[in-house]
Amino acid sequence: MRFDNCTERKKIVVKNPAKKYYYIFRVSFMENLQYPLNCILGFLSYFIMIFLFFQLWNYIYGDASKVIAGYTRTQMIWYVIFTEIMWFGTRNATLTGGMSRDIKSGTVAYAMNKPYRYPLYILSKYFGEIGFRFLLYFLMGSIMGVVMLGNIPAFRFTTVVWVLPVILSGLLVNSLIRICISLLAFWVEDSLPFQWIYDKLLIVIGIMFPVEVFPKILQPAIRLSPIYAVTYGPAKLLVDFSFEVYRQVLLVQLGYLFTFSVLLLLGYRKGVKKLNVNGG
Amino acid sequence: MLTEVKSEIQLLLLTVRYNIMREMTNKAAFTTNVLFMMLNNSTFIIQWAVLFHLKKEIGGYGMKEIILLWALAASSYGFAHIFFHKAFSLSDLITEGKLDAFLVQPKSVLLSVISSSTSPPAMGDLLYGFVLIFFTGITPLKFMLFTLFTITGGLLYSAFAVITGSISFWITRGDLIAMNLTNTMVNFSTYPDGIFKGLIKVLVYTLIPIGFYIYLPVSILLHLNLIYLGLVFLVTVIIINIAFAVFYKGLKRYSSGNLMSARV
Repeated sequence: MRFDNCTERKKIVVKNPAKKYYYIFRVSFMENLQYPLNCILGFLSYFIMIFLFFQLWNYIYGDASKVIAGYTRTQMIWYVIFTEIMWFGTRNATLTGGMSRDIKSGTVAYAMNKPYRYPLYILSKYFGEIGFRFLLYFLMGSIMGVVMLGNIPAFRFTTVVWVLPVILSGLLVNSLIRICISLLAFWVEDSLPFQWIYDKLLIVIGIMFPVEVFPKILQPAIRLSPIYAVTYGPAKLLVDFSFEVYRQVLLVQLGYLFTFSVLLLLGYRKGVKKLNVNGG
Repeated sequence: MLTEVKSEIQLLLLTVRYNIMREMTNKAAFTTNVLFMMLNNSTFIIQWAVLFHLKKEIGGYGMKEIILLWALAASSYGFAHIFFHKAFSLSDLITEGKLDAFLVQPKSVLLSVISSSTSPPAMGDLLYGFVLIFFTGITPLKFMLFTLFTITGGLLYSAFAVITGSISFWITRGDLIAMNLTNTMVNFSTYPDGIFKGLIKVLVYTLIPIGFYIYLPVSILLHLNLIYLGLVFLVTVIIINIAFAVFYKGLKRYSSGNLMSARV
């Protein structure tokens, strides 16, 4: 007696492996569409923060015609509006606390025997979760900026088309950095304190002020930092577009995409070997 | 009455002591959390150094006043999250029906709930505030006042979190409203009140009492004013009483379903 079905192994050929990550992204995106009120109420925090900066920069500028570090008052507040969108619109525990918890508790072991790569699964899920919120914040933040400040000086709608890839690369660099930090949980148990430091560096160096505001001696170092690629680049280009800065930002972003992809790959490979899972 | 208050305070101190001991079972993680939180807070110096490079004074504050503001904001925040950490997730406990285990406690339900856990990084915040205060020209009186305002600030901030968290007794998505309001307290408390004008200035001394939480105490630390001191005490006591009243009024509406949970 032969059990043909048991002896013959069917080889499953996945024509396009990227498709499964697209489905993960789509499921997560659709799930978040079910709770638009969460996004809208969450926007309140963003609004309060922008209002705070509006008051602060109004006080510092005093006179609306004053120019500080090459930025008018309107440009400076618009810069903060965009960087804060990148901060508030992408905040999510999946890449930070969630991933750290998965590793700490050993839950990551369940994800390892699934037909996907865990870091890519997390990345697709994350983009699905923040996708709708980011779009909403971008739209509502822009409307709020127009109401509070008027249009960005010399702004054209084609700028958005040019800057879109820079925004996406910026988000991707940020996500890769966060995943790399979370992978530290394989060695140090709790990687959250390292996320705080990255958060604070991002806020102080990349969100509150443009690079030009810092002392000249520090500017080259900041321009080479990943923060330049994550927040400064996209926001600067939206506020004051130039092809020279565009090329520079893309180059820095590509460099960091490559560097952090390699780090992620090596870190994950090394990290999973340290994983201990107890039964129960 | 006084005996009851005394026994509640004794129980609170004992609960917090055991919470901290529990968190310290993993000493490495606990120490990392505390140290990194202190380092994390220190980055504000860069922000304000840049801002003061652009303008010598901001909202009537110089670097010394800003350090004082940050020291008090950090220590009050730390105090609140060490003693009453659960006040900041009260909404979730109400929405998810997790208050059941506390309803059978022989002591105050509210105090049992909000003191049931401690945030380890908050130790870093508290320590950071007390380290920072030494950079502002400390005197014994100033140190005593700072300690006092850390306690009043922590109590006021926690009471405000209880009031906003209790919204969930009436509104389904109250957690997001509570989170936004408590975040507003934290965000505003690290900027000088001199940059606010008109309606906002009124709001920070009324509906969102940041003025009594941070601004007035900082002003007292800079120039001792007994009337302001009395005002800070009075408002703190009033807000604590409102918090108790709102929570117990809301508790009458509480129902939990048949969720099974255990307190460990």
